[in-house]
Amino acid sequence: MLVTLKIKRFDPERNPSSWWSSFTLEADPADRILDLLVRAKDELDGSLTFRRSCGHGICGSCAVRVNGTNKLACKTLVHDIGSKIVLEPLLGLRVEKDLVVDMDPFFASFRSIKPFLINGDPLPANGRERLQSPAERMRFDDTTKCILCAACTTACPVFWADGEYIGPAAIVAAHRFVFDSRDHGAAEHIVALAEAEGIWRCRTAFQCTTACPREIKVTKAIAEVKGAILRGEAR
Amino acid sequence: MQSLAKFTYASTHYRPREGMIAFILHRISGLAVLLFLSIHILDTSLVYFYPSGYEDFMDAYRSPFFMLAEIALMAGVVYHGLNGFRIALFDLVFPAAWTIDRERFSVRLTIFLAFLLWLPAGIIMGGNFIGYTFLGW
Repeated sequence: MLVTLKIKRFDPERNPSSWWSSFTLEADPADRILDLLVRAKDELDGSLTFRRSCGHGICGSCAVRVNGTNKLACKTLVHDIGSKIVLEPLLGLRVEKDLVVDMDPFFASFRSIKPFLINGDPLPANGRERLQSPAERMRFDDTTKCILCAACTTACPVFWADGEYIGPAAIVAAHRFVFDSRDHGAAEHIVALAEAEGIWRCRTAFQCTTACPREIKVTKAIAEVKGAILRGEAR
Repeated sequence: MQSLAKFTYASTHYRPREGMIAFILHRISGLAVLLFLSIHILDTSLVYFYPSGYEDFMDAYRSPFFMLAEIALMAGVVYHGLNGFRIALFDLVFPAAWTIDRERFSVRLTIFLAFLLWLPAGIIMGGNFIGYTFLGW
């Protein structure tokens, strides 16, 4: 099938404002959007710029807006979208070039919740791993799936209006540690969430859950962290 | 102002789903209620220190624009209350119910219930509007 790839372009060294490029490609319905981007860059316009790495939905590099909705280019097939494909950069983050956005504010929010295991207790007597039951592991299983692609945060209307908002991805990361039975640092994970730009700016617009390419129940995770803070469980 | 511009651009360049629509309606209705309450407190306070000004306000409220705006405001009040209840219920009581299907259904149900609850008021206020404006009540 013949596919039209319309891409929003931006290159401050060539033009201070953005413009659109259209590429017509022969594509198989089972091709991924990422395949088309790679072919457009290789065969039609070498200046086309986008992020990619693993190409298999694990690294979270290739999140873009496909026909107005955040998706991973490597997990979206042509037949899911149709023959007219419009690609734009993620919203709410500064565009550096074409489909590449500045992810620094996103990762700064992620780091602010201290996304690592905090446990000052001495190691178990056998000196090996800290055990937990399957049920304890399942408590935060959903939020371990996050690949930090920023699809959720850049689909959030609160984040669009206020780039300082910590965003759903950071709250998902906090959920992963706050509900981990081996972690004793919940109070440290939630420090950034309790601030003015923290979790209470969430207005439950649900955009994050619908945007997540890993199908994480993001709004549910946010509600659970809110509840844990309100009930004083996150200590 | 800059954040409003950013929000306006982004929200018109992202395909909205039910949750986003509910969020925008919640914001608009909330701002409308806030605006009305501000005006209402102002005009009611005039009774005390400027009674004739208060009468002017009451006349303005019987103008077609204000009467129609009040009918719309009623819809906003009902929707804002119901949607706030929906969000509080999901967020504080049943977070596990935040699944995509349930959330989409809950938004549609909220809009439908808001319409049902607004309907009697809409009919009464609409009747008054027609009476005052066209039938010389």
